[in-house]
Amino acid sequence: MRRTGLLFDQRFMLHETGPGHPESPERLVAVMRGLEDAGLLSHLIRIPATAAKMTWVEKVHSPKYIHSFEEACMLDLGELGCADNAICMQTFETALLAVGGVLNSVDMLMEGKIDNAFCAIRPPGHHAEMKEALGFCFFNNIAIAARYLQFRWNIGRIGIVDFDVHHGNGTQHIFEDDPNVFYYSIHEHPSFAYPGTGREFEKGSGPGLGATLNSTILPGQGDDEFKPKIQRDLIPAFTEFMPEVILVSAGFDAHVSDDMSDVRLTTECFSWLMKKIANMADQFSGGRLISILEGGYSIDVLPELIRDHVQILLDLN
Amino acid sequence: MFIGMSMTGDVVTVGPETGILAAQDAMVRNDIRHLPVVVENGILVGIITDRDIRSAMPSTMLSGSERAALKGRLEAMKVKEIMTANPVTVSPTDTLEDALLMMQKMKVGAFPVVDQDGKLKGIISVRDLMRAFVTVLGLEEPGALIGIVVEDKLGQVKKIVDAITELRVSFGSVLVARVWEEGKRAVFPYLLTSNIAKVKNHLRELGFTLLDPMEWYLDRLPKRSAEDETQTKEGKK
Repeated sequence: MRRTGLLFDQRFMLHETGPGHPESPERLVAVMRGLEDAGLLSHLIRIPATAAKMTWVEKVHSPKYIHSFEEACMLDLGELGCADNAICMQTFETALLAVGGVLNSVDMLMEGKIDNAFCAIRPPGHHAEMKEALGFCFFNNIAIAARYLQFRWNIGRIGIVDFDVHHGNGTQHIFEDDPNVFYYSIHEHPSFAYPGTGREFEKGSGPGLGATLNSTILPGQGDDEFKPKIQRDLIPAFTEFMPEVILVSAGFDAHVSDDMSDVRLTTECFSWLMKKIANMADQFSGGRLISILEGGYSIDVLPELIRDHVQILLDLN
Repeated sequence: MFIGMSMTGDVVTVGPETGILAAQDAMVRNDIRHLPVVVENGILVGIITDRDIRSAMPSTMLSGSERAALKGRLEAMKVKEIMTANPVTVSPTDTLEDALLMMQKMKVGAFPVVDQDGKLKGIISVRDLMRAFVTVLGLEEPGALIGIVVEDKLGQVKKIVDAITELRVSFGSVLVARVWEEGKRAVFPYLLTSNIAKVKNHLRELGFTLLDPMEWYLDRLPKRSAEDETQTKEGKK
């Protein structure tokens, strides 16, 4: 069994998005129910959530954007940019807590207190751009974690795997020029799904050319199309890149029961992928792996998906 | 949309007396395929393309010595000898639609843009048009495309736009495919939202028929023969 950390805090529920919004606090209730019902909580080392220092948030986001986000929450404007990005008065503090918790998990990982971690956080992050909130995301949690690994822990090569059904436009753009952060994403084909980026010809730019890789899945396709793409694209790319730490944007909305996309993965396929990622972490990264929650909106299947995901991190299978 | 807004204004030009090797070099250096030919005061007199230059070059079928013999002639050859004089031009106040239709009709890759005095103002090429249409379609803004099949009658698009606007979702663009199936049209709104499930469910509740991309492409995939299927199954065993 591995020493797996769990980041969760009741305060992540304080980000209220209003009735009918899919990115709801109930998602985290479902996540925690999955872990509790499977008896996993006692195996997990809890990671505290504390507000992130602004210097780290500013490694990714512009001060002007951060300020406008904070102001919109203080004035209770209800949304940031458009109706997708619903906010309440607590959203800014919640987003800072989520980032801070992720950075705490990085510290515990690098200090050898845990082997890997799962961060059950809200709001999600991978759509957030340097200067713009998008697709329910405000601060790009995983991007800030990668910058923190670079600047605080001097990690040379970081590998990001993003299996949310939507392309992580924010994360890709933030690291597009950076040869030291490899961004891999597998998602529904951008002609059919938000945000319309992540086409297979997008491979990074400047010195970062070749350190971005996208695999696309057409609507209606499932495990049989998904698995070969992981084998063909992700595995060889990471085998060559040899990341020293692997970060995962864990979105569960490609599941057949999730109505946010038309990709039809089974629960088993998510486990299959996570085992591949954990194996790569063992092979290249000394097991160092942090998984951060992104999307996944089916309250019915989230418990089993998270249970299996964390069991693989714990190496219980 | 007017050509003046989408043309390349900072244009590389040559003169009629320029050597064709220098013109070729200018094309390669600037990664372009068309050079307007101008005289004093920027008055346009012709256009020269990479194809014009390639046609003027000695054939690779010739032997080395034959090609060498032609080298001197080539070095002396001037743009005015092979350019298209008095080419078809457009004005900055013509529209992108004009340019698109003219390109299709005349099978031309670019038009010089001139003012009423014949002075060169820019060039509009297939590349400029592509860039303009990517912008118009909103493809570089985060969003998602949905497809809706409607009866071919007045007022259908309004109903769709109203239904989506009710949800406070913004539009990147709306395309209408007039030719779909008999008596139907397909409407493709590009929506600036990630909450696409909400939009789809709302439209379905209102009785709209959404296009199912799976059905569309699965119908058109080459069918596997029964023999292939057996082989795959046996392979799995």
